[in-house]
Amino acid sequence: MAAGSARSKTAARKTRAPADKKANVKLDPVDYAVISQGLIAAAKEMGTKLVRSSYSTIVREAQDASAALFDRHGNVIAQAELIPMQLGPMSEIFRACAAIYPPETLKEGDFYINNDPYGGGQHLQDVFIFSPIFYEGRLVGFSGTTAHHLDLGGGNPGLTPDAVDVHAEGIIFPPSLYNYDRDWNGGSLERLVTSNVRVPAQTVGDFYAQFAANAVGAERIRQLCDKYGATVVMQAMEELIDYSERRFRAALKEVPDGVYHGEAYVDDDGLSDEPLQVKAKVTVKGDSIAVDFDGTCAQVRRNLNCPWASTISATLAAIKSALTSPDIPFNEGVKRPISISAPKGSLVNPNYPAPVRARMLAAYRCFNAVMHALAQIVPDRVIADGNDSTDVTSISHLDGTRYQVYLEVYGGGYGAGPRKDGCDAVDSPLANCTNTPVEATDMDFTHFRIVGYGLIPDSGGAGKQRGGLSFFRSFEILKDDVNFAIYSDRFRLPPLGLFGGENGKRAACEVMRAGKKIPIASKSKVYLRKGDILTLFTAGGAGYGAVGERPREKIAADLKQGYITKGAARAVYGQKG
Amino acid sequence: MRVGVEVGGTFTDLVAIGPSGIRITKVPSVPRRPDEGAFNALLESGLPLAKIDDLAHGSTVATNAVLERKGFPTAFVTTGGFRDILAIQRHGRSRIYDLEYQKPAPVVDRASSFEVDERILADGSIEKALDPAKVEKTLIPALRKGGYQAVAVCLLNGYVNSVHEELVRDLILKHCPDVLVTISSGTTREFREYERATTTTLSAYVQPVIDRYINRFSARLAEHGFKGRFSVMQSNGGRLPAEAMRGNAVNVLLSGPAAGVVGATRQVARSEFSNLITLDIGGTSTDVCLVTDGQPQLTTEFMIDGLPVRVPVLDIHTIGAGGGSIVWVDEGGMLRVGPHSAGADPGPACYGKGGARPTITDAHIIRQTMRPEAFLGGRMKIDVEAAKRVFRPIADHFKMSIEEAADSAVQLANANIVRAIQLISTERGYDPRDYVLVPFGGAGPLHAAQIAQDLAIETVVVPPAAGVMSAYGLIASDFLQFETLTRRRSVGEDAARFLREVYAEMKARAMERARQMNLPEKLVFDFTAEMRFVGQAFEVPVSFSEKDLAKISSAAILKRFCDEHQKVYFFGANSDKPVEFVSFRLRFTLPISKLPLLTEETDHKIKAADVRMFDGRRWQEGRLVSRGDIKPGKRIKGPALLEDPTSTLLVPAGWTASRDENDNTILKRKG
Repeated sequence: MAAGSARSKTAARKTRAPADKKANVKLDPVDYAVISQGLIAAAKEMGTKLVRSSYSTIVREAQDASAALFDRHGNVIAQAELIPMQLGPMSEIFRACAAIYPPETLKEGDFYINNDPYGGGQHLQDVFIFSPIFYEGRLVGFSGTTAHHLDLGGGNPGLTPDAVDVHAEGIIFPPSLYNYDRDWNGGSLERLVTSNVRVPAQTVGDFYAQFAANAVGAERIRQLCDKYGATVVMQAMEELIDYSERRFRAALKEVPDGVYHGEAYVDDDGLSDEPLQVKAKVTVKGDSIAVDFDGTCAQVRRNLNCPWASTISATLAAIKSALTSPDIPFNEGVKRPISISAPKGSLVNPNYPAPVRARMLAAYRCFNAVMHALAQIVPDRVIADGNDSTDVTSISHLDGTRYQVYLEVYGGGYGAGPRKDGCDAVDSPLANCTNTPVEATDMDFTHFRIVGYGLIPDSGGAGKQRGGLSFFRSFEILKDDVNFAIYSDRFRLPPLGLFGGENGKRAACEVMRAGKKIPIASKSKVYLRKGDILTLFTAGGAGYGAVGERPREKIAADLKQGYITKGAARAVYGQKG
Repeated sequence: MRVGVEVGGTFTDLVAIGPSGIRITKVPSVPRRPDEGAFNALLESGLPLAKIDDLAHGSTVATNAVLERKGFPTAFVTTGGFRDILAIQRHGRSRIYDLEYQKPAPVVDRASSFEVDERILADGSIEKALDPAKVEKTLIPALRKGGYQAVAVCLLNGYVNSVHEELVRDLILKHCPDVLVTISSGTTREFREYERATTTTLSAYVQPVIDRYINRFSARLAEHGFKGRFSVMQSNGGRLPAEAMRGNAVNVLLSGPAAGVVGATRQVARSEFSNLITLDIGGTSTDVCLVTDGQPQLTTEFMIDGLPVRVPVLDIHTIGAGGGSIVWVDEGGMLRVGPHSAGADPGPACYGKGGARPTITDAHIIRQTMRPEAFLGGRMKIDVEAAKRVFRPIADHFKMSIEEAADSAVQLANANIVRAIQLISTERGYDPRDYVLVPFGGAGPLHAAQIAQDLAIETVVVPPAAGVMSAYGLIASDFLQFETLTRRRSVGEDAARFLREVYAEMKARAMERARQMNLPEKLVFDFTAEMRFVGQAFEVPVSFSEKDLAKISSAAILKRFCDEHQKVYFFGANSDKPVEFVSFRLRFTLPISKLPLLTEETDHKIKAADVRMFDGRRWQEGRLVSRGDIKPGKRIKGPALLEDPTSTLLVPAGWTASRDENDNTILKRKG
């Protein structure tokens, strides 16, 4: 990196978080196992109830929301495994609040709120709310939730592709402290939010679901305290973090030491054709690992910038999925052996006030760059590139005084792995949004209708293991002046195959208007007319391993199911149809 | 005489109740041909088939067909443009850090998925009419060519307007009369096309399996002179005449655990217990269910092998904790129990069949809370040393004695079960302290008291013959069916009138269906409205009795919903947000005329004796008693082991046991 430029760094920590260790009597192994499983179950329940009591299709159908429990210092103890991207840096987002309003000054009903990309947050739509949990007057921990809010104001409903800065993207909650009874529940903050969003019934309803989920988590922690006492519960929290750290370090020891490099590219910034490079240097040493994004391109003028918390999140997800067994509970302990650094002012650590709404695209390239570096060390633990984008579309319409906003998040084909074909038509690794059922959109929206939704044959890259197929979704537009905004990627640069596997098919978006095909750029906004047919094609996963090594019976099965066409079977695999 | 035959994974149980008392028969299951095991049980029991009036059967045949994908060739038909509904599913992953994640495999593959050109909208209006000529030209030849024996039809918004689904069905039947056709609107009337399509395909897929099974079984029964009523258990806790299972195959997917819940509910109701948590612990899993006012909780969110089944089933939560669950220490040093199981083969180490990993059954042998002689009435040889040997490494790891390690494993298994019970109680707004715990299954009575204690439950009620409760449940269950209807309507001033109209309409439909099934007209109705705040997507069930409906006001309907919502989601009680009805469910039941009475089997003879057991982290002196020998009114203080031919009941220190006039054994915690 250039001399003198500032950088951000998370440090690998060997020691545990500061805690009052005096009362550290030996924790009974059964009590510990019971309490820790209880904490994990409580976090899971929070997530389920958040989704089920929410209002917007993006939360209730797509499940773009997350929940976690924290110790009293804000370390993640346990999480509902919903969206990896939202979960990684929840404690960083917490700390930004705690630095201004120390936890020990909080009282019942208080809550922290933060969505500020330059105050520990990610993008504005993910609003994080943390509620302190008291037991017999004593602070024992926090419950926290985030939900992707459908619309938080800004320059355009749902999504503002041409925002010049973060202010054009919506309302900012800097790290702050409010009280539920005083400021929400009919109070000033609720009224402020209501006045600044386009679909208040849904947005405010989703906030209520967040508060309720936090209350559920608090109640479960208090029940554990009733049974085991607050001291033992807090001790178990600490031990659960140590446990994850221990298991993760044990796994890291198995990975050969060394310095490895990887890189990946975002197609463009939506203004020029220039690819945006993300570079990762991965250093494995003993039982710790360091990732440095030095050499990554500078921040850009459009919303592709990836705030620091998002970079941390993407990096953690890549390392956690490739190097640890899936049943290690994700918490602060998993983060301790990892240090991450990136130059300030780069795409993956931008300076205020750069817009950040589409930060997922650069975040995915962080994920890919780390994966590419790891491929050199642990080839049997990584997968090839997949769709690896969060393809977000917003189809909105203003009918008189009433807005209708339909936001949908798409994945595509998963990259193939060493043992299995990539998963077809599924959300990409950093996200985990489900689709909105066609029947739900039929019920809720009158400005469009979904007319097609299916797999795209031949979209998965060939290989010993085939990349996952991507899919298309087609919409018939039912009104004039329908606003369509999109950010997506892999329109120009395809997902890359690994170890001889072929690339996945690229993504695209187009409108059929009066028999003419009009291509739509990956990061853009257009107005649609009644009768238009809009179609989004997501990208297919890339293959893993040499094409010639694919067993004939697998090729035959793909042909029978129509996953590949006869032409492709001949051209790619040399198989007669 | 009434006879219940329940086919389980390892054993097939038979319970016969007649004028001369109760008879219990246990034979090994025949996994490949479950009806073979069932018939073996009938033969082994020595009962003359001609004397059986009422034969009720529960079988895993449908479940196995799904789990092993051994159904018959099935096709799926849907709206044009949406052929891949089953393949795409909901686009999410159930394990977020698994890089090689695979979706659950649908029972119908892509090559067997077809489209018809039509479109119905959310309000039921027809946007594009279905052209029968086109169906005959494209779909019918494709179905013929594929040699399909079953077809599932699920069209978009078919839950609102079923006219196109019915037309497609009629066209298929006209040209391919031997094919079984299942339509989504006849299976479940819920929105969300993936879930409804999957439910419909599962139903279609197992339909031929069930049909053939029932035909084969009926024929064989007739050969042996059976002239009584033959019925089959459903996963909703009721049975249906075997003939009526045609067209209802999806309802048998989880019938085994359901029968146990019903049997236990009926038996303890005789002693006036109506709020219970049932606890069925078997060899590989534990099933728990919440029963309020004598009614087991229902759910429509059941999954089989990762595939959603959206029909009402008893809300039974299953976890991988049973006698065969493996005890282990993970690489982070945490003690774990399950979810892996030693299964029936090799089974626990103490079975001496080569099991090399410690299990919960081994732990009981070490703790001496189960006697080696108690296994299959002493017919099975138990290797105590093997149990100790496999527990040694666990004991060493935690620097404990072997007994302490075994005790810790049992406690942890109990804790896992406690969490499962919390999931169906506290998480849904019910306080376990308002319930009694009712254990059954081979190992339920061994664990019940400790689990009750952890949940602060004061009373445990153990039915007689607890080890074969599912077989009893078959003959103790009513005949029942559900009628469902989706009709969205905001809850306004006319809500009460609307609700009464819907009820009347559904009741008329139910009576008609009962007539078709030859069920007499003395039906009992239970009515539930699925309601939510406008804008939400998940509903909260709210029940209304016929008596309620007669006089309830619209405001009272609203309040009842808000209170239910508050109970589950921690908000909503004082909300003034608009509320809507989404769908309705009417259960109609034909109660069995007289409950067959379950009793303690008296010919089980063991001598009362002093025994030692390791429980609560210490050795304790206690008594061993045969349950049949306990005189009503006598109180037995724990620690004690009470045995019957089907299970061992552990009464820990601090608890007392007594047998009541209905042969239920009541455990109470000392004040």
